[in-house]
Amino acid sequence: NLMGARLSGSYGDTQEPKTNPLVSISDEPETLYKRLSILIKGHDKAVLDSYEYFAVLAAKELGISVEKVDKPPKTIERFTLLKSVHIYKKHRVQYEMRTHYMCLELKYLTSSTAAVYLEYVQRNLPEGVAMEVKKTKIEKIPEHIRKPVWDTLPQVEETEVKS
Amino acid sequence: MAAGAGRCCRAGLSHGALLSWALPFPVALSQAVLSRTAGGALGTPRWGRAASSSAAAVSGREGPQPREGSVRRRGRTPQFVRSAAPPRTERMAVDQDWSSVYPTAAAFRPASVPLPIRMGYPVKRGVPPPKEGNLELIKIPNFLHLTPPAIKKHCAALKDFCTEWPSALDSDEKCEQHFPIEIETVDYVSSGISIWNPKARVVTLRVKLSNLNLDDHAKKKLIKLVGERYCRETDVLTITTDRCPLRRQNYDYGMHLLTVLYHESWKTEKWESEKSEEDMEEYIWENSHSQKNALDTLLQIKTSENVSNVTKEELLASEVVKNYRNSVIALKNNSETESNMSQYKESVKKLLNIQA
Repeated sequence: NLMGARLSGSYGDTQEPKTNPLVSISDEPETLYKRLSILIKGHDKAVLDSYEYFAVLAAKELGISVEKVDKPPKTIERFTLLKSVHIYKKHRVQYEMRTHYMCLELKYLTSSTAAVYLEYVQRNLPEGVAMEVKKTKIEKIPEHIRKPVWDTLPQVEETEVKS
Repeated sequence: MAAGAGRCCRAGLSHGALLSWALPFPVALSQAVLSRTAGGALGTPRWGRAASSSAAAVSGREGPQPREGSVRRRGRTPQFVRSAAPPRTERMAVDQDWSSVYPTAAAFRPASVPLPIRMGYPVKRGVPPPKEGNLELIKIPNFLHLTPPAIKKHCAALKDFCTEWPSALDSDEKCEQHFPIEIETVDYVSSGISIWNPKARVVTLRVKLSNLNLDDHAKKKLIKLVGERYCRETDVLTITTDRCPLRRQNYDYGMHLLTVLYHESWKTEKWESEKSEEDMEEYIWENSHSQKNALDTLLQIKTSENVSNVTKEELLASEVVKNYRNSVIALKNNSETESNMSQYKESVKKLLNIQA
C-alpha cells in the first residue's frame, strides 16, 4: 500500500500535459485582430514566390486561417538621365525599378498569435524585401460612450448661449 | 630560406601562417602534398590559363617539389599552397538532417549544397556557369534555411506561444455585434537608413452608428457634425487621426473625438429650434405645403358637396390621405422611379375621386 502511494505521484505527472517553462500566461484580456493584411514588396519575383510559400505554410502550421493570397501587378518606375557628366544632351541612359507585390490576408488572430507569427515571418524576411502590416483590431464600445453623460449630471440652468 | 620566407610573408596567406595552421592537421597537409604532386603531373598544360577563383584549381598548381628541372610559377602564386579539402557535399547522406547544414539564413556555399545548380548568363554556345565561385548565387537571397521540414519544426516550437481565437466569434457579424469598434494601424518593415516610418503613427477608427446608443435627433446631429467622414450606404463612421507624433496618442485622440461627438450630439442647443426646411435631411410630410394643400382641397370638396364639417384629424386619419402621404414621402426621399410615380398617380386619383 505504501509503495502504491509513493508511485501514484510520478504516474500523475506523466498523465498531465507538459507545460513549456518559457511560456508565461498573464491575466490581462487579449486584444483581438479581425484581419491582418500583409503586403510584401520586392524586386525579384522568385524571392517573393518562395517567401509566399514559407508564409502560407507557417500560417497553416500555426493554425491561422489564410483568407486569400493576392498578387497585385508589378509597378515599373523608369527615368531617363544624362549619360555624361558634362554636356552631350543627346546621349541619355535609362534606368528602371521593378517592384513586385504580394498581399497575404489572415483572419481572426489573437494578439499572442499575431505577435508570434509576425515576429517569425519578419525575422525571416529576405534582404531587399519590404513589408507593410495592416492590423484591424476589434474592441467593445468603452464605458463612457454607452450613455450620454448629460443624464447623470445635475440640472444646471444655462443662462447664456455658448458661441 | 630567409629570403623565401620574407617573400612569402608579404603575400596574403604567409607560409608561416600555413605552418601554424598545419599543426593540428598534420595528416591533411601530407595528403594535400600528395594530391598536389599528382595534380602537378596532370595539370602541367593548365599553367598557361589565367588563375581562376575556384578553390578546386589550387590542385592544378605545381607542388613544392619540382618535377623536371626548375619550374616557373606564374604571377605571385606562393610556393606552398594549401589545397582545398574535398567539398562537404561528397560526405552528405541522402537522408541527412538539412536543418543542421543551414540552420539560419546564410550565404550560398557551393561546397555545402549538394545540388548541381547553374546560374548566370550562358557562355557563347555553352551553359550557364557552375555553382563554384558563382557570385550570382551568392547575391540572391536563398531559402535554404526554410525548407518545409525546418518550417514545421519551427512552428511546432512556436505553437506553445499561440492562443486560440474564441470559438464563439466565428463570423464577421458576430464580431461586429460584440465588438463594434474597429481600429486599423499599419506597421512598416524595411531596410534603409532609418527603421522608423512616419506613416506608422496613423490610426483609423471605424464604427457603425447603429451600434451606438443614439436617438433620432442625436444621430442626425452627429451626421451633420461629422460631415464627410460618414458613409450613408454602409452606415460607417470613419475617423482618421495622425496629428500626434505617437500611435498611442493618436488612438487616444480618436477615442476622445468619438466620445465628444457622441455626447455633443445628445445635447440640444437653443439655436437648434431655428432649423429650417432647407436644413432637414429627409422630407417630413407633417406641417408641409403638400399636407396643407391636400387638406384644403379636401375641405373645399366636402363643403361643395354640402357634407357636415369634417375635422382635419378625421381627414388625416383617412386611407386616401395616408396613401397620398406615403407616395409623396417616397418620391421626395427616394429617387423618382416608375413605381414611385405610378403610386403617386394612383393615390392622387383616389384622393380626388377621379376615375381614369
